[in-house]
Amino acid sequence: MPPAIEVQALAKSFGAQRVLAGVDLSIEAGESVVIIGRSGCGKSILLKHLIGLMSPDAGAVRIEGVDIARLNERALLEVRRKFGMLFQSAALFDSMTVAENVGFGLRREPGLSAAERARRVDEALALVDLRGTQGKKPAELSGGMRKRVGLARAIVYRPGIVLYDEPTTGLDPIVADSIDQLIVRVRDQLRVTSVVVTHDMRSVQRVGQRILLLHQGRIYTSGTPETIFNSTDPVVHRFVHGISDPKEIQI
Amino acid sequence: MVGAGRCGMITDVKALVQQQLEGLGRYGLLCYEALGSAVRRRPAFGDLLYQLYFVGVKSQSVVLVTGAFTGMVLCAQTYFQFHKVKMDTATLAVVSVSMGSELGPVLTALMVAGRVGAAMAAELGTMRVTEQIDALRTLAAHPVDYLLVPRLLATMIALPLLTVESIAIGIGAAYAVGVGLLGIDAAYSWHNMVRYTEVTDISIGLTKSFVFGAIVATISCYKGMNCREGAEGVGRATTEAVVYASITILISNFFLTMFLSQLAYATGY
Repeated sequence: MPPAIEVQALAKSFGAQRVLAGVDLSIEAGESVVIIGRSGCGKSILLKHLIGLMSPDAGAVRIEGVDIARLNERALLEVRRKFGMLFQSAALFDSMTVAENVGFGLRREPGLSAAERARRVDEALALVDLRGTQGKKPAELSGGMRKRVGLARAIVYRPGIVLYDEPTTGLDPIVADSIDQLIVRVRDQLRVTSVVVTHDMRSVQRVGQRILLLHQGRIYTSGTPETIFNSTDPVVHRFVHGISDPKEIQI
Repeated sequence: MVGAGRCGMITDVKALVQQQLEGLGRYGLLCYEALGSAVRRRPAFGDLLYQLYFVGVKSQSVVLVTGAFTGMVLCAQTYFQFHKVKMDTATLAVVSVSMGSELGPVLTALMVAGRVGAAMAAELGTMRVTEQIDALRTLAAHPVDYLLVPRLLATMIALPLLTVESIAIGIGAAYAVGVGLLGIDAAYSWHNMVRYTEVTDISIGLTKSFVFGAIVATISCYKGMNCREGAEGVGRATTEAVVYASITILISNFFLTMFLSQLAYATGY
């Protein structure tokens, strides 16, 4: 059986700036992988390539064995049915209520009755502890609640793979912890493959089964949280312990 | 030094031309995708109805005021000139033909480009910079099907109706000014207006407004969906949507007038 996600020699540049310079990775079904790396190193760009929101300059992205790197937007819509994605800003549709936002993904199931749709929305909201907020607009929600609604919207149609783009960024430590717990709950209850992009080290320890460090456009190293946090490699050690390079702060 | 400066300028011009051609290509592809989607997929009725309300009903006041005052000033100016050669009763005929074939469709389209086009570009631009369009794509909804097509169809349906309204109110206002204020003979004015206004004048005007509707919606949505990051990007996309749509309306108006007039002549209408 092919891996859930397989990336080979993925390259992406914006003008003269080379962001991804040959990324190789493989993620098995049911795995929970965290991609870490410094701000601006291309983590979110890599994540967007996994779901076909961006097309690479070179390389392959295989989802369950099918290369999606050269598919057109219509063909990608079919592939994306396997994915749910939580955006850094939650990206809720601000003209819709919470129920409409969460239920949006169910449009792809036209045979669903209104009652069944409402039940599925309620079920997804219950999973993220937000039952009873169906009628609220995104503007009425706090940052943490918006992320949770975003998560409910990403899982309501029961995808096999869920991508998280910096799920705890901008949240206080307690709300961040609750989001991490939800990621683990979704992974365990729905048995999904999880790919989390973050630079929050506490989050890494809580949700990651395997850690990939993206550095200078490539996967620099890979390992369990223990091996990564105990690594003596200077690049890994400095990043996971938040130690800046003295050369970088010289004026 | 002079050679290096000239070389740099040529490179800048080449880059600008390439950028414009790429933009035109992307716009062409978007229109092609929208046309295919409009033909093959039925848009959600609720979305279409909301856009019809937004484009049609919410533009009423702007269109009515524009139509009325254009008709009134056209009537007054025409009367001042025609009165010198004792052709007062031809005034309404001139207003009617002008409003029906040119001023009605063009001014209505320009007003809708300003009101609706700006709103569409700003809304879609904000959706783009807040990743809502990417979220749509991850939820297996094609942005062209979900965002562009309902706006395109609604504008193409609403603009001819708004144009009819603008023409009617313009002629009505001109009649009130001409007969009520300037003292033109009501019966002869009406008779001449009906006599010299052809069905072709109105049908050309409405055909043009249909095309203008497509121009406003596609350019505004294109600018919104391709806007740059941040508040500055949204502001720029909104401005460009209105400017590009307005210029395209004015340029295409000339060619549409020539083409449709020749077509009407050739087919004997």
